[in-house]
Amino acid sequence: MSVGQVRIRVPEKAKAGEVITVRVLVTHPMEPLQFKDGKPVPKQYDYIHRIEATYNGKKVFEAETTQAVSQNPLIAFPVKVTEPGTVKVIFYDTMGKTYTGEAQIKF
Amino acid sequence: MKSIYSPSRRSRRDALRLLGAAGVAAGALSIGTLLPLGAAHAQALGMPQESEKVADTMKRLFGGRPIQDAGDRLKLDAPLIAENGAVVPIRVDADLPMSPDKYVKNIYVIADKNRRPLNAKFALYPDAGKASIATNIRLAETSDVRVIAEMNDGALFGVAREVKVTVGGCGG
Repeated sequence: MSVGQVRIRVPEKAKAGEVITVRVLVTHPMEPLQFKDGKPVPKQYDYIHRIEATYNGKKVFEAETTQAVSQNPLIAFPVKVTEPGTVKVIFYDTMGKTYTGEAQIKF
Repeated sequence: MKSIYSPSRRSRRDALRLLGAAGVAAGALSIGTLLPLGAAHAQALGMPQESEKVADTMKRLFGGRPIQDAGDRLKLDAPLIAENGAVVPIRVDADLPMSPDKYVKNIYVIADKNRRPLNAKFALYPDAGKASIATNIRLAETSDVRVIAEMNDGALFGVAREVKVTVGGCGG
């Protein structure tokens, strides 16, 4: 598993108007705070601070995450599907990198 | 959850005066201590932030707005005992309206005794159909985990559960 790998799990088939749960996992260290002499080490930490999800281009979910989210973050969120399409999830980390994952919703 | 904040009514003048004072204080601080306050805003991404007491976090996020006990309307699934504080699975299900004119806008996950209590903030849209999220959080030590749901009209619903942590997972 390499850093930045995004895996999305959606139901195999959905019905129009159904609320599905999208489960998404990204491989990321979510670097925790380091301490020296009881004080946090002042440096730039590498963790995901923002997540955005769209369904057919329309924003359906957003999250602001901190270092208090576990390594390899797993997030589940709901989407109401009205037509077949694509769920796209983008992760932004503090180093300026983005990781994207997509899944098809089939009816 | 008992709210310790009472809604305060401030006049516009008071608000302006406060703003002014804050500005002066910020200026004095940045000059006085040579703390790169501007830099802290520009490149704060990933830099460690000041530790915060949970009361201050609540104040920062919600001001003095009262938080109603959500009762059955907000369900928080979290383990009673988390052996490893580094990975604590939680799940929030809200039985609150999710229509275009009344919906759950934000869900906040707050761990009282973490160095920075706010774990994560989730934003939802009416298109989501229901308000329910799940994730894994880190807990530094045994503490209450609070979940606050913010409606689009500003109403707040809260629920809290204690999670016992055997080994802390916040790097210290």
